[in-house]
Amino acid sequence: MDASVQTKTHNLAKGDTLLAVDNVSLSFGGVKAITDVSFDIKKGEIRAIIGPNGAGKTSMLNVINGFYHPQQGRITFKGETRQKMRPYVAASQGIARTFQNVALFKGMTTLDNIMAGRTLKMNTGFFWQLWRHGPAMREEVEHRHIVEEIIDFLEIQAIRKTPVGKLPYGLQKRVELGRALAMEPELLLLDEPMAGMNLEEKEDMSRFIIDVNTQYGTTIALIEHDISVVMDLSDRVVVLEYGRKIADGTPNQVKNDQTVIDAYLGVPH
Amino acid sequence: MEAAQALREDTFPKLLARNARVRGDRPAIRHKDLGIWQTWSWAEVYANVRALAASYHALGLERGDTIAIIGANRPKLYWSMMAAQMLGAIPVPVYADAVADEMAYVLEHAQVKLAAVQDQEQVDKILSISDRLHYLKYIAYDWGRGLRDYDHARLRSIEELIQQGRKSLQDKAVSAALDASMAAGKGADTSVILYTSGTTGRSKGVMLSAERCINAATDSVAFDKLNDRDEVLAYLPLAWVGDHYMNYAQGLVAGYCMSCPESAETVQQDLREIGPTFYFAPPRVFESLLTRVMIRMEDASAPKRKMFHYFIGVAKKYGEKILNGESVPLSGRLMYELGNLLVYAPLKNVLGFSRMRVGYTAGEAIGPELFSFYRSLGLNLKQLYGQTEAFLYVTVQPDGQIRADTVGPLAPNVEVKISPEGEVLFKSPGMFLGYFRDEDRTAETLTPDGFIKTGDAGFFEPQSGHLKIIDRAKDVGKLANGDLFPPKYVENKLKFYPNIKEAVAFGDQRDAVTCFINIDITAVGNWAERNNVVYGSYQELAGHPLVYDMIAAHVNEVNRSLAQEPMMAGAQIKRFLILHKELDADDGELTRTQKVRRGFIAERYQPLIDALYNGSQEADISTEVTFEDGRKGMISARVKIRDCDIVPVSARSKAA
Amino acid sequence: MHVLYMVLIDPFVQMVSAPDLFIQTIWEGLVAGVLYALIALGFVLIFKASGVFNFAQGMMVVFAGLTLIAFQDMGLPAIVALAASIGVMYLLAFSIERVVLRPLVNQPDIILFMATFGITYLLIGFGEMIFGGEPKEVNTKAFWLPQGSIEFPVLGGFVQMQKIDIAAAIIAGLMIAALAFFFQKTRIGRALRAVADSHKAALSVGISLNQIWVIVWFAAGIVALVAGIMWGARSNVSFALQVVALKALPVLILGGFTSIPGAIIGGLIIGVGEKLGEFYWGPLMGGGIESWLAYFIALGFLLFRPQGLFGDKIIERI
Repeated sequence: MDASVQTKTHNLAKGDTLLAVDNVSLSFGGVKAITDVSFDIKKGEIRAIIGPNGAGKTSMLNVINGFYHPQQGRITFKGETRQKMRPYVAASQGIARTFQNVALFKGMTTLDNIMAGRTLKMNTGFFWQLWRHGPAMREEVEHRHIVEEIIDFLEIQAIRKTPVGKLPYGLQKRVELGRALAMEPELLLLDEPMAGMNLEEKEDMSRFIIDVNTQYGTTIALIEHDISVVMDLSDRVVVLEYGRKIADGTPNQVKNDQTVIDAYLGVPH
Repeated sequence: MEAAQALREDTFPKLLARNARVRGDRPAIRHKDLGIWQTWSWAEVYANVRALAASYHALGLERGDTIAIIGANRPKLYWSMMAAQMLGAIPVPVYADAVADEMAYVLEHAQVKLAAVQDQEQVDKILSISDRLHYLKYIAYDWGRGLRDYDHARLRSIEELIQQGRKSLQDKAVSAALDASMAAGKGADTSVILYTSGTTGRSKGVMLSAERCINAATDSVAFDKLNDRDEVLAYLPLAWVGDHYMNYAQGLVAGYCMSCPESAETVQQDLREIGPTFYFAPPRVFESLLTRVMIRMEDASAPKRKMFHYFIGVAKKYGEKILNGESVPLSGRLMYELGNLLVYAPLKNVLGFSRMRVGYTAGEAIGPELFSFYRSLGLNLKQLYGQTEAFLYVTVQPDGQIRADTVGPLAPNVEVKISPEGEVLFKSPGMFLGYFRDEDRTAETLTPDGFIKTGDAGFFEPQSGHLKIIDRAKDVGKLANGDLFPPKYVENKLKFYPNIKEAVAFGDQRDAVTCFINIDITAVGNWAERNNVVYGSYQELAGHPLVYDMIAAHVNEVNRSLAQEPMMAGAQIKRFLILHKELDADDGELTRTQKVRRGFIAERYQPLIDALYNGSQEADISTEVTFEDGRKGMISARVKIRDCDIVPVSARSKAA
Repeated sequence: MHVLYMVLIDPFVQMVSAPDLFIQTIWEGLVAGVLYALIALGFVLIFKASGVFNFAQGMMVVFAGLTLIAFQDMGLPAIVALAASIGVMYLLAFSIERVVLRPLVNQPDIILFMATFGITYLLIGFGEMIFGGEPKEVNTKAFWLPQGSIEFPVLGGFVQMQKIDIAAAIIAGLMIAALAFFFQKTRIGRALRAVADSHKAALSVGISLNQIWVIVWFAAGIVALVAGIMWGARSNVSFALQVVALKALPVLILGGFTSIPGAIIGGLIIGVGEKLGEFYWGPLMGGGIESWLAYFIALGFLLFRPQGLFGDKIIERI
């Protein structure tokens, strides 16, 4: 990928706060999923969110990209504070994500899936679309080029025209990452990017995540169960338990934190 | 005319210059990048190679130096070979999937000064062994992804080298020096060193001279009437003689275009898009293609499947006869034409063989049915027998003399004799200069009168003059009772079944033949799905009783077929087992060209062999495996053993 | 024995002995089938994109037809009336999205299904208020649709075809081709397919569900308008038509709820099946077979191939 896929820097420099959640609480009916959690994500870092099952990690991602609306708290993204996000706003402001159990457009090809990630970058109107010449055609070619760069980046050329429903799980996860990258996100949310993968696939995925982060400066927040992966990849780690934040810091700090050891690391999974 | 010209151009860079002059606008090389085929003409390639040569020279590459070429088939890696040869330096292509240890040996033994590599993976590999490489100065890479933050003291991007070279060539003196260097190249100089993986011991560096390479390629280009309108897909490993011959040498001699696939996984699609006119593949590629076709047919709707099998039957009956120009009844011809319309042509299109004029297979014996299958579709598939040391061709089948069970008569200008022990010896136009820095083994390989020992046992069929290869000379053994035991012959019969991927037969000095089998996970996995056989892993599938039943049926069939042949009846398989893991080159069980390393396997799986001969019904085994990144792990299993039907001795005693 | 003969043998004897009649019957069936297919198509569009079973589709056909007639009666030129009707259908789609779908987002499917009942009765009430209850006829001449019929000899007899039917078949075909093109080749089409596959994934890439819903309901509205014109050209447009529109249900069971080709082929099969049944077997049962045969065929399909001819296969791995 070249400059065309690089994220726009706006006026934030590396290390500035890109996203902050402040005192967020979320409940479903009477069930509390998240209780008064605050943390921030700095531009350019890889931020891990870990915790036992049911700790509220996925709920947290859903709050950030607007799927869930918290009852209390605020979300500040790129300096703009909101009480809640909406998916469309999140997407158009530069938040892309993948899902724990892969949410792809199963009937469509790899190419079309990644193309779908370009939706917000396409401008030509409805009627040009019908005509499919002129601006719409030019636009399609431009976007196709960017998508091809992503395909090249993720080394999935061989499955370009394969309907994704037919792909093995590991490759589906890769296509899903590709679709998120096609949005040229500023913040990439990855929900267990390596779940269900074998060792080799995990290594590939780690490599892609690091490459995305270093080459394009994309900020990444990820949920992951494999602790060794988290320790290798991330700059800072947030630990949740029962919807509360119990630790926050560098991998080393977190690893040696007694609360964390008791709550999480000590227990075998 | 072409031959006369080739003599004048006695090195590959001179051929490149000629092609740029004679057919500068014709496509020379293509590469699919970002989903689009990029094409470079001969003139462009020549300019790029000159620029790259100038930069390599600036990095210190001199006449007689060596440069490693590591990676997949990429234009810039081929250009690196040409650029090195332009300077009188010697390219050493290395298998890209070699593990770090193997690579360290080759690079150090070849004393490479420079390495031109494909990507980060190869750069990492070389950096991890750099303390063992005393001659290596620089690494040039094709694809820069992930390398941006690396220390570039010893790293260069090939793209940038070409840009810089272009600038420096604007200086007349630099340009003239390069031309002089190219002109100073002599045909007798070593042109390339190809390391053969060798079934035993360390790899040997086969030194080939430019004029011999060009002579051999000129002969074969004339033999198959190739010209600059032909197209090939370069997908075989750069380090293999097949790629260097078919794509590099013949391409430069005939001036045809080679296309580099997008990635190793897309070869099949790229093949379809390019539609090569000349195609070369080892039997296992043809085998896996057929397996895939058959699997797709099993999943097709019933009418489609019926139509397919019916017309494949028609092709079996008439196809080869039509191809060989024999007489065929009119009705047969008509049915074949109909079959062509409905089945063969679409099938060839899917396989990418629509435009194929000549196809070769070599490297090991091809199953006769497999061979006939492709020929019956109307594909001019032929066999050749060759070696790296010969720069490929020893024998080759001319049109009209094509058979599955022989490798054909002698190739042009080749001499062959059979030693008293039955070993095939040859002299050929392309024969090697010797092994690089290994005079002992060079001497071992040559006979006093200058013939090269192939290590293969074979004989000439009296009536046709075709050569027949039985097996590796040292592998042909005898059972305890004196019956002949040619392991490869038996294994090839087994491997003909799509369900069997690999087989290793034992029996030398034993009282019976036994066998390890590797199932083909694609074929058997598909079968399992259709038959509701549930399995969680390769190991589980391999040990499944129903899979054993199926394989046992195949083995019994092989025994029946062996019993038909008087010399082979003693080699029937008495017991077999299915291995719990796939044999793998990373574990040293196969060579890099996917050939079985029998001795190593026998040692590694000793407990299993013991069990095959002591009558037990199962055995435990635990082995070390190497992952791609070099880490090691253990894998253990309990493997079951099956007894097979032996066709009674009466048939055998008659033969004896 | 006699009954068996009448059921199993005699109809076929009749078919063979009077082939021209047989072909005529098939043609009639195909013509009816085209209409069923168009209505089913509207259902499929909405079902694919939003998972809503739109009970109001039949009523939308009536409503669209009556709207057009009303504009024509106001003395507008045909093309203006058509454009205005399309505008009304867009307005309808827009309001449905705003008033019904958006507030009900994330509610169970059954709630949305019930909501479409509401839409149906609202349209009936509203329609009767504006257009009145009596049947009306579309002025086909104004649309340059051909009149009269052609006759040609077939196998010793004659087959008669209404020119309007032929035109209807061609127009329906063109519209289906246009829809297919739209779905496969345009960005909006890609977004529609994306939404059909996974709502949350579509949301995550910034596809606006609300916009997509307006588009599919609008597309379904246009399909309804075409169906309304076709129907109105052959006979009258009236609120009774929505009962006929329910025939789309067996068509969907046959063709699969998510398949556009399924809707078309299913429609044709039901149309032809009905006419053949009515003509050859109907007399045995005293006629009227046409009204329930389609449901009978659908029932058979439910037993043996619940996903329909072209619907997504339901594969569960053990």
